[in-house]
Amino acid sequence: MHRLPAAPKLGLALVIIVVTVLAPVQWRAWFIGVAVLLVLTAWLSQLPLLFLFRRLLVLSPFVLGVVLVNAFQLAGCANWLVVAVKSVLCLLTVILVSNTTPFSQILRVLKSIRVPALLITTLALMHRYLFVLMDESERMRRARASRTFTRGRRFHWNTLATVVGQLFIRASERAERIYDAMCARGWK
Amino acid sequence: MNAAIEITNLKYRYHDGTEALRGVSFCIAPGECVALLGPNGSGKSTLLLHLNGILPEKLSGGGTVKILGEPVAPKNLETIRRQVGLVFQDPDDQLFCPTVQEDVAFGPQQLGLGDAEVAARVQKALAQAGLADFGRRATHHLSHGEKRRVCLAGVLACEPVILILDEPTSDLDPRGRREFKALLRQIPATKLIATHDLELVVELCSRAIVLDRGSVVADGPMLELLNDEKLMLEHGLERPHILRHQHPHQPKTDRSATQHNPKRW
Amino acid sequence: MHIPDGFIDGRTAAVTAVISAAGVGFALRQVRRELPHRRVPLLGLAAAFLFAAQMVNFPVAGGTSGHLVGGTLVAALLGPSAAVVVVTTVLIVQCFLFQDGGVLALGANVFNMAILNSVVGYMIYRMVCHWLTGIRGRVTAIAFAAWCATVLAAICCAGQLAWSGTIPWSVAFPAMATVHMFIGVGEGLISALVFLAVYRARPDLITETTLTDQPQRLGELVRYGLLATLGVAVFIAPFACSWPDGLDSVAEKFGFSHKMAAPLLATPVPDYQMPGIHWAVGATAAAGALGSLIVFALALLMGRWLVPKPKDA
Repeated sequence: MHRLPAAPKLGLALVIIVVTVLAPVQWRAWFIGVAVLLVLTAWLSQLPLLFLFRRLLVLSPFVLGVVLVNAFQLAGCANWLVVAVKSVLCLLTVILVSNTTPFSQILRVLKSIRVPALLITTLALMHRYLFVLMDESERMRRARASRTFTRGRRFHWNTLATVVGQLFIRASERAERIYDAMCARGWK
Repeated sequence: MNAAIEITNLKYRYHDGTEALRGVSFCIAPGECVALLGPNGSGKSTLLLHLNGILPEKLSGGGTVKILGEPVAPKNLETIRRQVGLVFQDPDDQLFCPTVQEDVAFGPQQLGLGDAEVAARVQKALAQAGLADFGRRATHHLSHGEKRRVCLAGVLACEPVILILDEPTSDLDPRGRREFKALLRQIPATKLIATHDLELVVELCSRAIVLDRGSVVADGPMLELLNDEKLMLEHGLERPHILRHQHPHQPKTDRSATQHNPKRW
Repeated sequence: MHIPDGFIDGRTAAVTAVISAAGVGFALRQVRRELPHRRVPLLGLAAAFLFAAQMVNFPVAGGTSGHLVGGTLVAALLGPSAAVVVVTTVLIVQCFLFQDGGVLALGANVFNMAILNSVVGYMIYRMVCHWLTGIRGRVTAIAFAAWCATVLAAICCAGQLAWSGTIPWSVAFPAMATVHMFIGVGEGLISALVFLAVYRARPDLITETTLTDQPQRLGELVRYGLLATLGVAVFIAPFACSWPDGLDSVAEKFGFSHKMAAPLLATPVPDYQMPGIHWAVGATAAAGALGSLIVFALALLMGRWLVPKPKDA
């Protein structure tokens, strides 16, 4: 599963999502078929079940919201079930594709469908430096926490805001250095 | 024969007005391996950024920099950057592509080479850096030492004549440092290495230039400078331990080397 | 506010996708034109920053915490077009890598959070900066603008959900709007604090991205404004000015049949049967109007408190 080329995987995923969202309630065969396909794929891809389950839980507040709302409806009780099923199926599709496809391959597919170069560069750089910045943020927060002895919330917010502000400044300065490094290797 | 690097009276000020470089001058011959020493804040990194035209941002007319006889100017930046490979201090700044393969290929691609040639260069550079099967690895998953080696590979893929390194072994564990030193030893290019790693200097460099507060305070044979304890301490450095004990190429009685004053100003 | 797949129907997804594509395409062109070459990597880094910043938890009472969304903040720091590109990038990565927000819903999410939030936030920020000068004025401006942008984006989101028949307008609007009026306060406060932190450390970063090139900026804002108005007109206006009696009558009023697009449900969503519920919509609208006045006053006070009067004034 991990070794399949990116473009057909993405294409198939898109088709599944589009049809699932558009499909009327009566197309029960479609929903069941997709569910079976996804479960099979999940098993083949050897992704841990707990991981998949936890990702699916992200949906729960939304689904709960819709459930609550529709609990007051006289007709249309099936509404929430349909919404829940559709979103679970779509979410599972995306989880499976994104966990079996390296991001750089996804970007290559986007490039081939003529997504503007500036957006692709921005996506690539974001992905590359995402974890670097998250690490920096965590380190700054820990360093601050080590020197925090008061419990006031106001102080805390100020500190956190300073950390976020510093993060922006560091990101800005790093962007300049990256530009220099790109130019040093001939980027125009 | 043109000097590889020729700097005459280079001056530079930061945005807030502080003088970073106050009239730096020196010459480096082709094939030399020179260490650029100095305390933190002495202007080493700023100086290095002048060697491939990244600084100054605007022509301020503060001195000249010549690479292989050609002055560094906006119109010949492309040629200069082909000849001068700069390895930056923070590997995370230099490794901006998602995979090792793509990052090492960046330089050759910018040079306009064809796909086959690019692939060949990437292969060669990775092999040189001891990372032959690292092509598909994601850059953000590499260890610090591996990142530094990928940075070097990325620069080597452009086949520069002059190699400039900014603190190449800082943050490396002892094995990483040994491996990197071994790598550098095998590269035939002219080398200028800004570093605090005095053992590296002793093992690789024949000459040392000491920079302090934007000025060159000493320039001469490496052994003489590094053995000059007073000079070292005065400028935020120290005499490396490796020289305090018997140096393999120096007879035990030759401590008089410390009395021999290198060129100073 | 990331809408997952399945919560909006095909028609809404298609319309939002078209509007968003136009908006993002326009933003990309603007950025290419006005951003100096050396700041191109900044877009990617700002996106990484925004993502990392969104993970920082600001503790509120009782174990809950708020966090920055940041569209308005980025717009104030980098300009509206760059902000659109940056937030779109964040949304795409969140969608594909972290499954936060659906793939088909990307159009809607981009419209709400990247375009509407950033652009309207920026416009309000500029307007307030015009009246209140100095850093104090900017702090007030960004706090108020962030609040307004958050609430407006939430209302638009409610409209999209109602259009799709997932939740009726009479529930979605009051729920989303009131919740986000509170969330917006946090957003405004955090945006202001971060803005101030950046200003204190590197004031040059603030003055760079700015308030210059008035006529060009105006043209850009007008075009965004049209796009935003279109979105609002499509997703909010029908609900705001019709009786809250379900999707059907709205569809009739605007002249297209509910059954033309592939329907989500076999029958239209019936209205709330509880008494007086259409009262909730009116009340929310009134609360919103009053709320904006209160928030503006609070923002003014906060500006005064955070930025002491300069001694040489």
